[in-house]
Amino acid sequence: MTVTLTINGQRRSLECEPFESLRTVLRRAGYHSVRYGSDTGETGAAAVLVDGLLISADVMLAVQADGHDIETIEGLSVPGRLHPIQQAFIETGAIQSGYSTPATILAAKALIARNPDPSEDEVRDALSGILDRETGYLRPVHAVLRAAAVMRGDDTDSIDIAYLDSLLDGEGTSADHDEPSEIAPRVVPSSDVPETRIVGKPETKVDALKLAKGNPAFTDDVDLSGTLIAKVLYSPHAHARIVSIDDSKARALAGVRAVLHHGNVPRVRYASGGQSYPNPLPYDQVSFDDKVRFVGDRVAAVAADTEEIALAAIDLIDVTYEVLPAVFDENEAILDGAPVIHDEPDMEGAHDASRNIVHHLKADTGDIEEGFAVADRVFEQTVRVHQVHATPIEPHIAISAWDSDERLVITSSTQVPFHVRRMIAPLLGLPVKQIRIIKPRIGGGFGVKQEMLVEDIVAHLTMATGKPVRLELTREEEFVSSRTRHPQTTTFKTGVDADGKLTAQEMRIVANTGPYGTHGLTVQMVTGLRGLSSYNAPLKRFDCRVAYTNIPVPGAYRGYGAPQALYALEVHMDDIAFALGMDPIEFRRLNWTGVGDPLDIAQQLGEGDQDADIMPLVTSCGLEEAVVQGQRAVDWSRRNDPAWKEPADRPNIRRGLGFAMMMHGTAIPGLDMGGASLKINDDGSFNLLVGATDLGTGSDTVLAQIAAEVVGVGTDDIIVYASDTDMTPFDTGAYASSTTYISGMATKRAAEQVREQIVARAAEMLEVGASSVDLYEGRAWVPDGRSVSLETIALSTLHQAGQHQIMATASYVSPESPPPYAAQFAEIEVDIETGQVTVNQLVMAVDCGVPINPITAAGQVEGGMVQALGYGHCEEMVYDEDGRMLNPSFGPYKIYRADEMPRLEAILVQTMEASGPFGAKAIAEIPKDGVAPAIRNAIADATGVRIANIPFTPERVWNALQQA
Amino acid sequence: MITQYHRPLTLDEAIALTARPDVVIIAGGTSVNADPDRSPVTAVDLQALDLAGIDTDGESVRIGATTHLQDLVDSALVPAVLRDLARREAPNTIRNAATVGGTIGAVDSESELLAGLLAFGATVTLAHAGSTTEHALDEILDEPTLLNGGIMTSVSIPSNGLAAADRTGRTPMDRPIVMAVAHRDNAGAVRLAMTGIASRPMLVDPEQVASLNPPSDFRGSSDYRKSIAGVLAGRVLATVTGGGSA
Repeated sequence: MTVTLTINGQRRSLECEPFESLRTVLRRAGYHSVRYGSDTGETGAAAVLVDGLLISADVMLAVQADGHDIETIEGLSVPGRLHPIQQAFIETGAIQSGYSTPATILAAKALIARNPDPSEDEVRDALSGILDRETGYLRPVHAVLRAAAVMRGDDTDSIDIAYLDSLLDGEGTSADHDEPSEIAPRVVPSSDVPETRIVGKPETKVDALKLAKGNPAFTDDVDLSGTLIAKVLYSPHAHARIVSIDDSKARALAGVRAVLHHGNVPRVRYASGGQSYPNPLPYDQVSFDDKVRFVGDRVAAVAADTEEIALAAIDLIDVTYEVLPAVFDENEAILDGAPVIHDEPDMEGAHDASRNIVHHLKADTGDIEEGFAVADRVFEQTVRVHQVHATPIEPHIAISAWDSDERLVITSSTQVPFHVRRMIAPLLGLPVKQIRIIKPRIGGGFGVKQEMLVEDIVAHLTMATGKPVRLELTREEEFVSSRTRHPQTTTFKTGVDADGKLTAQEMRIVANTGPYGTHGLTVQMVTGLRGLSSYNAPLKRFDCRVAYTNIPVPGAYRGYGAPQALYALEVHMDDIAFALGMDPIEFRRLNWTGVGDPLDIAQQLGEGDQDADIMPLVTSCGLEEAVVQGQRAVDWSRRNDPAWKEPADRPNIRRGLGFAMMMHGTAIPGLDMGGASLKINDDGSFNLLVGATDLGTGSDTVLAQIAAEVVGVGTDDIIVYASDTDMTPFDTGAYASSTTYISGMATKRAAEQVREQIVARAAEMLEVGASSVDLYEGRAWVPDGRSVSLETIALSTLHQAGQHQIMATASYVSPESPPPYAAQFAEIEVDIETGQVTVNQLVMAVDCGVPINPITAAGQVEGGMVQALGYGHCEEMVYDEDGRMLNPSFGPYKIYRADEMPRLEAILVQTMEASGPFGAKAIAEIPKDGVAPAIRNAIADATGVRIANIPFTPERVWNALQQA
Repeated sequence: MITQYHRPLTLDEAIALTARPDVVIIAGGTSVNADPDRSPVTAVDLQALDLAGIDTDGESVRIGATTHLQDLVDSALVPAVLRDLARREAPNTIRNAATVGGTIGAVDSESELLAGLLAFGATVTLAHAGSTTEHALDEILDEPTLLNGGIMTSVSIPSNGLAAADRTGRTPMDRPIVMAVAHRDNAGAVRLAMTGIASRPMLVDPEQVASLNPPSDFRGSSDYRKSIAGVLAGRVLATVTGGGSA
């Protein structure tokens, strides 16, 4: 059929099938800003304006739009100019990955056209159809309010940092200040932090322009002619042997170019987790196996000329299964007689595959029983955490093709391009040098893309067909076949003396790694590390069994074992305080770690190359300040106000406040490595090439700020390119809260070498000694006031005298992992008649060292808290008795949307961490750790009911209230 | 999967097309187009028929079948409780396309708006070849085949009375696990409708709430739903009989 659409004012006639969505047809016509988030309209990534109304183009047929006016963000995007809404999104820090930013900006445009002066509630309603997994909505909402003000002609303030006084320094209190705007990043400065020009400032993101304009930037925006579409046949059974596969009918279908399965793909063992060489054991996967181990496991893959043909071919593959008994619970999986999930003879590296025990981890700092023996009281408590999904709005997607040198080029939305290149080579039988991995912008990752998940499928299909092949997971496939957070059962046992000091702390775990051990070892090492590092106890013991089961595969998800550990720990510590009749914060304060305290369990639970003789110590800690800042922001004194806790006008409501203390790590010491390369251009600008992978976090911007600070230019003079295995230095990738600290230090070192080269030439030109040259504002200065521009220096060194390229490459690996600390507070209310919990406010005060960019740091905290809120409150992967996921779509799998959010506040408490670049520690993951226990402890404060397990869905809370 | 598409220009043309066996009616299309079923169907798109609009004669409000849910949200003619239920039905990216008639035709098992329309005693007008019929919404939901061979043209509700709604969900804008909505007309007659207690939104006799036997799912067991159904029904009934409006 032919439809005629007026798109951004231009009449266009487009060919389409009657079943094709408006999204499909617009993308095919080159409107790349209309993005895939799901097929059923619930993500809003594909929202466009139809006759001025915001409509999800997933669920509108192109033929329905025939004759109508369509507006996409391309219509707003004039080269060299920004629309006021785009400008506001950039200034406020509303853009993280930017994947759904075009749709959000269109929502704003439609709203402001209808209502030039919208209220915050009206803005939130206007954004209600665009799910955002990244920002927590705070900055997008304020971006819309700001844009509306600008478009009305109202004055707007610049987005400056709101500096808060320390509350520990006696006199200073912040109470007299005007409340800063909700999006002004709040920073409690530390006096030992040196002055900087670019670092520590709320610079706009270096990639904001392309994201605000919806320019082609993501994997799916790569258009290669003749690209085949891949589809995967997934197992309908939780555990089965493949008795036979008959692919003859599928191969016979016109337009089918390849059908791959265990019968025609070499059997090469691997572990899919994107980790350093050698990948941790076990090696329990192959590209296609003759056994399936969960509903969603790979059976076969097809490449065909169109998606419809590929789907039809999948339906034509006849598979005969011998269905086997399955086991889903980690505690049942390790019992005698449980089904054996890995019985194949060639699997490598499981502790005891015959009992489904992948790993049995043990660590201790001495004889724990001695610690319990001297305790006044011993407390023991077991909780179970469930399985959730990271749900980036951009699902996994990869495109592979042979280049003109017959090298295999894979463009992939991956956090770990260098690991993928190394790991995929043996699977394909190609040398590493014949493979190139390109990471464009990533539409959210959160750990789930720290995996070689789809790249081997497209690569095998390109090798089989000779053609480019694209595989994008559907939303349902993303839920069931990608990676998830590990469920686990955790028991804490803690001895406390008569003064409330810990004498011993033990952590016993049975963890569920699903059918494959990817990340199963290291997630649990982090669980032990985090669970047993937060508090000082003279004796500690860790015992963890990791079980195989038949659930969809757990892997890496932001937090990486810490949310599981800190939920159990902070519930346990709260309940001990309650049992002892102590204030929950005072009890913790007696025991929490601070500067100089040993991180003793880390010596046994580290992955990297560490010196066993050196005890890692806490080197910086802003926890005390964070706690009091958070207490003030959340008005902690309301815990003691009965009129607030039991409002007289709402007899069914109880209110409460809860607290959790968090401590995380900063990169994997002795293992995580980042590289950076910096070179000058003719005009005094620089190319910064990094292997690091910005998932939307703003890490490219942070690295640019670090380089800019050192070489004395503005951030806009640093052009960042990342990440491409042919072009950029190696980097382990974006995980383990490492990029700012590790890749940042690599960038700093490269920039320092470049600075030396610039200073040397400047000293020659100005006829002074090098030690008297300073670089700032794009010039080299000497004390008498003379200066020379970096452009002049660049032209001199490139063209005129002693010619050489001013450039340097450096890399960095850290011997230590300085912990960020944070205090999480939650305000909730409980309807005691129905069990419904409403979360009204989340406050997190965090010590991330020196935040290189306070706006992106605050955005990490806000968005991280909201993901953590989902973990504690409403998200869960649910299965039927055969292991089939019952809720693989948004809605049934509930993530928060813009019009139902609690108030969010992030407070950045500076400390000067000497080992980090300009004093920085990590911030990316710690926001995931404390919300669930803070909500749980708030429910206890409100109702007296101390619930064991998350999430706090109405029936769980109601049941607990009934039993109380 | 839609393999043929028609956009009739007149009601008669649309009615004639519905005689075909493989027809699906599209208003906004947000339900039909989200259906993963790949068997071929013929779509009849009502957008060119002039069926949208909201008007009142003082006694009742007539809502055209292809009126977008967003227009309900925005209309001062629609009672406040129903406007809020329309807002809760879907986020704005869907409300700008989805329609009142489509909501009735699709019968989402947990639709708060359908429950609201039931509580308000909505009547549905169907156009057939050469005739028009009116049915209580409850009758249509009981017997969806009544829609076959016709085109829904409008939905009417009384414009007077008191109404209240309440719900329990995982989050404030979640599809409720159980929801109750009550309406009391000026003569004092009270109608109660609920979601989450049966396979579709249902009218419930206020005296019989304790005898409900709701289906279970992962968000709420039968016993839990039954218990909070009593709580929520009690709250909304107290509001409409006590004189307040929620």
